[in-house]
Amino acid sequence: MHTDAATAASADRPGSLLNLEAVVVAFGGLQALGGVDLQVWKGDRLALLGPNGAGKTTLFNVIAGDIKPTTGRVTIKGIDCTELPARFRPRLGVARTYQKTRLFRGLTVEDNLYLAQTGRSGRHLALLRSGVDTEFRTRARAMAETVWLADVVGVTAGDLSHGQQRQLEIGMALVTGPEFVMLDEPASGLSRGERERLVQLLLSLDPDITLLLIEHDMDVALRAAQRVVVMNEGHTVASGTPEEIRVDPLVHAIYLGSEAGLTGAGP
Amino acid sequence: MSPAATASGPARPGGTLRRLLSARNVVVAAATALALLLPLFGSNFFVEFVMTRTMILGIAAATIVFLAAYGGMISLAQYLLAGVAGFMVGNAVVAQDAWSKGLKLGWNPWVAVLFALAVTTFVAFVLGALASRTTGIYFLMITLTYAVIGYYVFGSITPLSGFGGITGIDPPGLFEDHPQRMYLALVVLSVLVYVAFRVLAATPFGLALQGIRDDPVRMASLGFNVSLHRTLAFTLAGFTAGLAGVFNVWWNGQIDPTSISIGPTLDLLIVAVIGGTLSLEGAWLGAFVFVTANNYLRNLPLVDHIGITEARFNTIVGVLVLLIMILSPDGLAGIIDRVRKGLRRLIQQPPGSGAGPAEAATGSSP
Repeated sequence: MHTDAATAASADRPGSLLNLEAVVVAFGGLQALGGVDLQVWKGDRLALLGPNGAGKTTLFNVIAGDIKPTTGRVTIKGIDCTELPARFRPRLGVARTYQKTRLFRGLTVEDNLYLAQTGRSGRHLALLRSGVDTEFRTRARAMAETVWLADVVGVTAGDLSHGQQRQLEIGMALVTGPEFVMLDEPASGLSRGERERLVQLLLSLDPDITLLLIEHDMDVALRAAQRVVVMNEGHTVASGTPEEIRVDPLVHAIYLGSEAGLTGAGP
Repeated sequence: MSPAATASGPARPGGTLRRLLSARNVVVAAATALALLLPLFGSNFFVEFVMTRTMILGIAAATIVFLAAYGGMISLAQYLLAGVAGFMVGNAVVAQDAWSKGLKLGWNPWVAVLFALAVTTFVAFVLGALASRTTGIYFLMITLTYAVIGYYVFGSITPLSGFGGITGIDPPGLFEDHPQRMYLALVVLSVLVYVAFRVLAATPFGLALQGIRDDPVRMASLGFNVSLHRTLAFTLAGFTAGLAGVFNVWWNGQIDPTSISIGPTLDLLIVAVIGGTLSLEGAWLGAFVFVTANNYLRNLPLVDHIGITEARFNTIVGVLVLLIMILSPDGLAGIIDRVRKGLRRLIQQPPGSGAGPAEAATGSSP
């Protein structure tokens, strides 16, 4: 069950969507990632767990193309993306959210959801509106409904509450019609009720959509994911099903501290 | 901050008309009508000097506002780009036998305009491509560098100009000896530029530009080519600044490197700041205040004791900018907006308390 062997053994399984090979990221003297191997298959629901500073977000940024790995290789859908800048990811069906909300704060909710779609389509240099735009607008409003923002579509994103901004953040990733969604702490700062809604939303996603999730809330992570990878100090240290991870003593020790009971994290 | 037009849902019946009849649009239309009728009652000096200069500076400052409000870029290269157009017109139209510097190509003035705009657009594209990877203070510094380089380029390359500059540049027959026609043409051009920039803001291109202003990192992760987008916006602003530059050189009849040096470059930024860098209308408002101060305030009592003429003017404008910055970082347009909202709140106070969500949704626009 302890990672490297597990991922290596199944490396050639068909349907591999994302493949990381020995990814190292060093910021000056600090090694944020110390040779990570990770494989994600189509339709996977994978959660990345680990304490602060474990390298989860760095790993995310490498996959998303915001950071180039110092060494190692990133392959998405069989295409070597190690050197490709972030803006080529959407063409491969990759969409992501950010830990700290990144919205177009001066634009309305609808415009945010509209813009999220135009980047991939090549429509963003257009000076005239066309039928495609109407379609994008329709989809933007439908997505606003999905993420419970239907009654604020005309409100400027900067004026939304924190919870609404988190919802919009997720909506902007989902509205692109992605095959691979990466969510960086989607539940952070949400109330209990909002978290529950988030879990329901994640569970209701099309099963073909692959999901990679960073989450501090164990309850959200273990319910939304089918597979969990635990990171610590720049390495993947454990992987398995949520049930296996709940009872893994190593995970207890590094992630929750010895006295915190994993079972207590449930509802 | 986003233009009201972009918040469109499916067009409600009568919604388009009501949107076009917003207070903002009505005021702009009234100001335009006033500007067009001005030659009927204004003095020649006021029309041909104060207002003509206001329109030229207004168009040039509007390009700063366009880049700042929609693109989040404060450019100090706009006066340089206007100057490039001016130098190109000068080089192209002055006749071979004239007493002047420059290439003296002796072209038809309208051909010269096309040539000047083509060169300016190309220069703006190249400069924009180089600057587009930077933002904030770095973008400001790079464009300031462009302005300084431009001064020395035209000063040092004597076949193009030299520090003495090009003199005897005549406008085309349509405007020669018809300063009022040139003024009216500038009013029309101002309206076109204003409308074009506002319409552009609601296009896919304009929305993407505002997205880049708000969060370039997110835009890149959504598949946008951020630096290409910035470059194209800068190119468009450069072309528009070129239009202002063509009229500027017609109006002045001459151009030299000093007229595009740091001083005038900063003056144009001051015009934009006085008006408000987030408001397109502010560009013309700021230009009007600036030119009026330049022409009239220096002869006021007390003020006429301050140093020589130029120092007097700079002192007044300095105090003016300081006051406006303290009162409102969004310039005069910001002050007007606040007064307008304050009045509306006063009027709406009796029936309910506080502003409804509808008001928050319409918001203010650049």
